[in-house]
Amino acid sequence: MLPESGIPFRIVGGRVLPAYLDARDVPWLRVLIEEVDRFRARPVRELLERLRQPLPCATPPFKLRAAVAVMLRLWKGELDAKVPPDKARESLFCAAAAQIESDRCAAFASAAQALETSPADLERGLFADLPGEKLVCAPSNIPSPNDLALRTNQLILRSLLFHARRVRIKAEGATRPLVRQAKLRGLLCSVTDGSPPILDLSGPFTVFRHTLLYGRALGELVQFLPHCAHFKLRADCVLRGQAAILDVQSGDPIFPAEAPKAFDSKLEERFAHDLKRAAPDWDLVREPEPVPAGGTLIFPDFLLRHRLCPQRWFFVEILGFWSANYLVRKLALLREAGLGNLILCLDESRGDELLPPALLPNEARIVRFRRRIDPRQVLAAAGEEIPTERTAKDPRP
Amino acid sequence: MSRAKARGMRLVFDRGTIVLLGLEGDAAHAPQGFASLPGALWDPRISALRCPARFHQALVADLGQRGVRFADEVASPPVKPLLESATVELRPYQEAALAAWELAARRGTAVLPTGAGKTRLAIAAMARAKVPALCLVPTRVLLDQWARAIRELVGFEPGRLGDGEHRIDTITVTTFESAWRHMHRLGNQFGLLVVDEAHHFGSGMRDEALDMCTAPMRLGLTATKPRGLAAARLDELVGPTVYELRIDELTGEFLAPFDTVVLHLDLTSEERTEYESLMAVFRDVMHRFRRFNPGATWDEFATAAARTDEGRRAIAAWHRARRITAFPKAKRTMVGALLARHRAARTIVFVADNPTAYAISREHLIMPITCDIGRNERERVLGLFKEGKLRALVSAQVLNEGLDVPDAEIGIIVAGHKGEREHVQRVGRVLRPRPGKHALVYELVIRSTSEVEQARKRRSALAA
Repeated sequence: MLPESGIPFRIVGGRVLPAYLDARDVPWLRVLIEEVDRFRARPVRELLERLRQPLPCATPPFKLRAAVAVMLRLWKGELDAKVPPDKARESLFCAAAAQIESDRCAAFASAAQALETSPADLERGLFADLPGEKLVCAPSNIPSPNDLALRTNQLILRSLLFHARRVRIKAEGATRPLVRQAKLRGLLCSVTDGSPPILDLSGPFTVFRHTLLYGRALGELVQFLPHCAHFKLRADCVLRGQAAILDVQSGDPIFPAEAPKAFDSKLEERFAHDLKRAAPDWDLVREPEPVPAGGTLIFPDFLLRHRLCPQRWFFVEILGFWSANYLVRKLALLREAGLGNLILCLDESRGDELLPPALLPNEARIVRFRRRIDPRQVLAAAGEEIPTERTAKDPRP
Repeated sequence: MSRAKARGMRLVFDRGTIVLLGLEGDAAHAPQGFASLPGALWDPRISALRCPARFHQALVADLGQRGVRFADEVASPPVKPLLESATVELRPYQEAALAAWELAARRGTAVLPTGAGKTRLAIAAMARAKVPALCLVPTRVLLDQWARAIRELVGFEPGRLGDGEHRIDTITVTTFESAWRHMHRLGNQFGLLVVDEAHHFGSGMRDEALDMCTAPMRLGLTATKPRGLAAARLDELVGPTVYELRIDELTGEFLAPFDTVVLHLDLTSEERTEYESLMAVFRDVMHRFRRFNPGATWDEFATAAARTDEGRRAIAAWHRARRITAFPKAKRTMVGALLARHRAARTIVFVADNPTAYAISREHLIMPITCDIGRNERERVLGLFKEGKLRALVSAQVLNEGLDVPDAEIGIIVAGHKGEREHVQRVGRVLRPRPGKHALVYELVIRSTSEVEQARKRRSALAA
């Protein structure tokens, strides 16, 4: 995260205008990448010293600082020592302390002998594990100037959102990682119905005063936004001692996080695989649009839809692993959502004592499983004629 | 207040806050009569009253006085049975401090000099309180030290939160940073909060760590209580000062007597020229700022300076000038001479920054203790220092406060950046008593620089 004084932005008329890096910054970014790469296999402190001096081209100082912060995360320090530095220090400093009169050469010779190395190697490795003494190691894929610009923009946005009190996001598609991340990081996430729904994110403590407690969590949402088909984010920030609004939307140049995982678990992955094989006429859509329930959103695991009769569709929710609290909360939300076409897959091996029938949504069609979900049972719950089971030896198509 | 409205009310812990569920208000306002509950505000996001967790006890008392029936679902069950009665032997002044804290309803701050045994006092308080306790310490180094002290004094292996560990137990030790990050999940599991080096709180930074915990019993420990607004805020978060002793009140019997020797040194002519030219750049901008902003603080100046090229240059010049005075040739020579003079004694050298610590370490072959040195090595080194196999340590900030350094007799203060509080803590490092011990603290000060005034302020703080 960049310190507030180091973030490139302006405030105009109560709005935060981030100074994004763009095509105009590519020339100096290229020079910066080349300059940093010159310091491969040299101590990190030499690189840091070099970066304190100007580049041989015009550079906007705040953007440069932000880009340098990104690069220093990619070009990491690597330990290079023949003797473990902590052993070298202990041996040498104890040898020096044992002398009656200070004799530097004798201390080195004695310690080197004990460690079966040469005094020169001992001296070289003495502080080789300190952050500044490690050797600069380039990443396996050196980013292009454009790539570096996008990564820097992401850091700029995260740093701005670190100072946010509240964030509202209107997003279509791929909202699940956003909500999951928000809940994981202890944010309050309320949902306003609409198309698409609006997520309102803030921390519980925000009601009392402005706090940086949730800044990191709010900033982390940025990386998931590029995966949404469309999004608009509005954040209420406190920057340079004044309240200001930050707007971010689809098309803004932000580096995306890694694509979200296709499945939450092996169980889901196996079920998707089995069902596709068992029922070619049915489509299984992973992470369908969320459903509002109890002031929040629920994300059914799958949407099962008949390709030829699209009006035949069902949400499929798999409850494979649960704690008692999670189960109560989850089932309460499902009941509140009142989904008439829900197929609920329950793991029998978890025991039924935690699952009194009253907890289950009335309309849900229940499929019980052990270790693996039988796609034929799910199809049966969907009113489909159960296809004959095929085996590996079965030659029929 | 309507009883009907309060029927079925529940208090629950929600991520570092207490939420009152079951009240019927409209979306934007609290129901009449409930708006003045201690610390509580109406949270329109969930249409419920919410207050910081530290108000839990006051809230319960207030609702009780109003005759409101409610279910208190805040406290989380203790992770393990509480400590069997363990007794910790205390010195008379520690016993007095503990009694004062207990008489203040187990909520308050003890101000005791470094080396006076604040950790022991806190462990005795935990043993007597017999409730799950959480100890907040400023650094990972102190996390280890507290865990070790608890193990040794009450024979209990405490839980640890921080430095890569996450294990909660009846007694848990955590760093300030980890407490700040995780209190929203743990805040309802403890009855006693011990805050080591409590002066770090009160200024707004990380205060939420104390706000988000329900523990009604709180014990703050410090050698240097903050002043002004920070002191008032600390009183709210931890409790007022319930016991206070100065270094001179313990010197002789419980702390080793000591002398301070101030050595005034000169810059070389090249260093002086560079120093003066850098300070001229700084002073020019500073004087102009002062003319328009009389009484402005350093932070205000730094914020304003960061907005202009000229200001940034002035700040950079000031930093470089400080680096010159932090370890010029004269100090380098003097450190060598002092280390040679006290070769047989256990010595701690305090410097301003890590690069200086490593420079001294390379030159004089003494062990550096910095934030870059890992936990295992640090423990090994302190063990070797205790055994006398290492005779000197050099540190920038790690040894500044809290760390229990085994019996050093000589302190050499080469430079510091954190003012009077840092100085008091550093001097305290060499005051551990031993029969016949007389500690010696050297202060190296460069003539005709800002260090002279800083040194004067430091000494007056020590005398206070």
